[in-house]
Amino acid sequence: MRKFHIFAGAVAALAVIGLSPVAQAAEKIAVGALRLTSSGPIFIALEKGYFREQGLDAELKLFTAATQPPLAVVSGDVDFAVTGLTAGFYNLAGKGGVKIIGAQSREESGFPLIAYMATNQAWDKGFRSLKDFAGKSVAVTTTGSTFHYSLGLLAKKYGFDVNSVTMRQLNGLPAMQAAFKGGQVDAILVPSVGARALESEGAGKILGWVGDETPWQLGALFTSPKNIAERRPMVQAFVRAYQKAASEYHKAFNAKDAAGKVVKGPNYDEMLALLAKAMEQPPERIAIGLPYIDALGRLDVGDIYNQVAFWQGAGLVDKSVDAKAVLDLSFVEGHFNLPR
Amino acid sequence: MELVVEKIGHRYGELVALEGIDLAVREDEILALIGPSGCGKSTLLGIMGGILRPSAGRILVKGAPPADSLNPFTYIFQDFALLPWRSVEGNVALPLEHHGLGAAELRRRVADVLARTGLAEFRTAYPKQLSGGMRQRVGIARALAVNPAILLMDEPLSALDAQTRELLMEDFLALWLRARTTAVYVTHNLAEALRLADRVAVLSRRPGRLRDIVAIDIPQADRATPAAQAQLAGLHDRLWGLIKAEAQIAEREVIAAGASYG
Amino acid sequence: MAEPQMREVAFRGGGFVLSPRRGAAAVFFALLLALWELAIRAGWISPLFLPAPSAVTTALWELALAGTLGLHVGQSLARIAAGWSIGTIAGLGVGFAMGIWSMSRAIGVPAVSALFPIPKIALLPLLILWLGIGEPSKIATIALGVFFPTAIAAYSGIDGVPRNLIRMGQSFNLPWLAILRKIVLPGALPGILAGFRITASIALILLVAAEMIGAQYGIGAFILSAGNLMQTDQLLAGVVLLSVLGLAIGTVLSRLERWLLGWR
Repeated sequence: MRKFHIFAGAVAALAVIGLSPVAQAAEKIAVGALRLTSSGPIFIALEKGYFREQGLDAELKLFTAATQPPLAVVSGDVDFAVTGLTAGFYNLAGKGGVKIIGAQSREESGFPLIAYMATNQAWDKGFRSLKDFAGKSVAVTTTGSTFHYSLGLLAKKYGFDVNSVTMRQLNGLPAMQAAFKGGQVDAILVPSVGARALESEGAGKILGWVGDETPWQLGALFTSPKNIAERRPMVQAFVRAYQKAASEYHKAFNAKDAAGKVVKGPNYDEMLALLAKAMEQPPERIAIGLPYIDALGRLDVGDIYNQVAFWQGAGLVDKSVDAKAVLDLSFVEGHFNLPR
Repeated sequence: MELVVEKIGHRYGELVALEGIDLAVREDEILALIGPSGCGKSTLLGIMGGILRPSAGRILVKGAPPADSLNPFTYIFQDFALLPWRSVEGNVALPLEHHGLGAAELRRRVADVLARTGLAEFRTAYPKQLSGGMRQRVGIARALAVNPAILLMDEPLSALDAQTRELLMEDFLALWLRARTTAVYVTHNLAEALRLADRVAVLSRRPGRLRDIVAIDIPQADRATPAAQAQLAGLHDRLWGLIKAEAQIAEREVIAAGASYG
Repeated sequence: MAEPQMREVAFRGGGFVLSPRRGAAAVFFALLLALWELAIRAGWISPLFLPAPSAVTTALWELALAGTLGLHVGQSLARIAAGWSIGTIAGLGVGFAMGIWSMSRAIGVPAVSALFPIPKIALLPLLILWLGIGEPSKIATIALGVFFPTAIAAYSGIDGVPRNLIRMGQSFNLPWLAILRKIVLPGALPGILAGFRITASIALILLVAAEMIGAQYGIGAFILSAGNLMQTDQLLAGVVLLSVLGLAIGTVLSRLERWLLGWR
């Protein structure tokens, strides 16, 4: 009996705490991200206190590989995460583990993020244009990666068969770059910093940039279906903070002049310094690969549908996965390219 | 064939093990080497057969070994030194294999020596399946298989229990009486020396020096008679007198050394 | 005086003695699998977190139906066989040299100590630069992992050969090569075979690392791909394949030991 009283008392105390306005003022959440500029809005919102403005006490959890943040959402270690969209992501989302609620970075013309490069040998043998990709071998991280999808879009654009390209899976950029330098492959997809390095070493030639060739919805903001169902106001508050930070990012780094050239925004230096601090890298290095991020976190929804269809066609995502079920478009207004 | 030990000395680092040993092993005799533990008996035996290099002096042979001797200086070891992965016949065959005898001749020799040593029925057994006494029989068989000119025996019975020792000693004696191979027999057991040896060389404790050589003028075959026993008892006392005091000192040394490790 | 009472001396031994229990392991694993399956069917555990044994079996079955199972297993076995053999032969050669000659030992021991702990995965980019992304770099990854423990097992094995046996061989005038072949090699064999157990496991562990290098087929490549694609049922199916392979290799080694070391 005595035990029961203590238990009842504890429950009552918890209930009081739970209802108190103090606790409501700072709801604890955890956010997962990779230490990349594409996660910029998360770092900006944290640094400038936008989450706190929305009554959220956000804790950042950093990951080292793109496969990890969605898993952390499924396991409940983080409430929100941003990362690139891969076939693995859709397999996880298709099982009901995560739902996309907004946009992260986007491949967009004028923003050189990922380069297509040809080795000197392949260049000398006439591989000088992205149109000539058929029959070539290319170093990628893995099948089902964002690189794989970019190649798929490229194949569609230039009308070659993506299956005629031999994808060498090397499970990491160091191994990919080593294979490229050694002439083991004809081509590579490589982030801008690596591309500039390879080019200046004379290891190969840049043929083009994914963003210029085939813009697509590279990354997304996502949460768990449980959060959407049970903590909807919290999710809405999070999205508001995220949008505010994304707008600042967009203003600083994604502004274009009348001629369509990317120019520095009024808050460029402040934002660059903020991101450099968060990335623990010199600002000059950060400035090389700043991606396009929609100011309001709006998604290219049509591309998401296309991604799912592409992966299903390649046999990498289960046929039962439905793009519509993976998305929750109710948190952000004005998404693009909605399928009818 | 005679073996002459000339001014042999040996040291392990600072430790002088043997000093100024002069000794001759006569043809067809059994010479027992006795002395307290640690006097360098085994070291001397190793030097005599050419598997230890002495610090001083040299070993000479007088006369040629018999033509059919495949390994003139042949050891019998205290710990038997059998290859555990070879059967009895495999172990006996080991020293014959590199002489190009041919398979049939090799088999014949092995079978012959196994028959002589009473091991024929154990020929496929492995050492771990044999008792200590049987293992040393294999050691003896292996030594006899090469027709040695001189047998160098390093406390061959000291790893065995008393009854086995007795039985094996008689068997060995029977074999020896037929072949009469020259032998040097290292032991710390006076009874073994008195049963087997024609002469007993007594070494002092470290540094090992030759103290005395005692001849036993009774043929080995006749040593069981009461008269011989009485005479042997006298020799036993004389030998014991030579080594007792030193054996006591040596024993205390060992205990002191052990204590310093404890 | 009364007759003293007779009492039986109480038994105080027993216990602390293990006797074999046949089939206990099989029953335990069967129960574990049944419980696992039940937990998922009953909804106690989400299949998102842990696929059911039936799902893993289905994944394996589909792999077999698609005809790629043989490709995965075959290519991995070929890589392990080549990598393990090369690593073992080189390791035995160096280990024997270190066991026999003082000079080799003096150079070899610090060299092995310095190079053994290098993670082979960290060397992948270098291996690719040297050997390309074909089979050689994959085989080299496994061979490197196998080489060092084999060398250590070989020279420790030779150290463990009783010196009196070598002295015995010399006392019978056995030629140097005969001493090596008939005494040192068989004497070191138990240590070398124990090393084989370790290196066989290392080869399996390094298979995944090796197949990171542009492998299309192979159990390691399959596991990597399943992990990247979040196909947890296939991931576990690959792990099961790897375990079965490990068990099979272990059984072969046990047979080999019983055959070669029957004298123990």
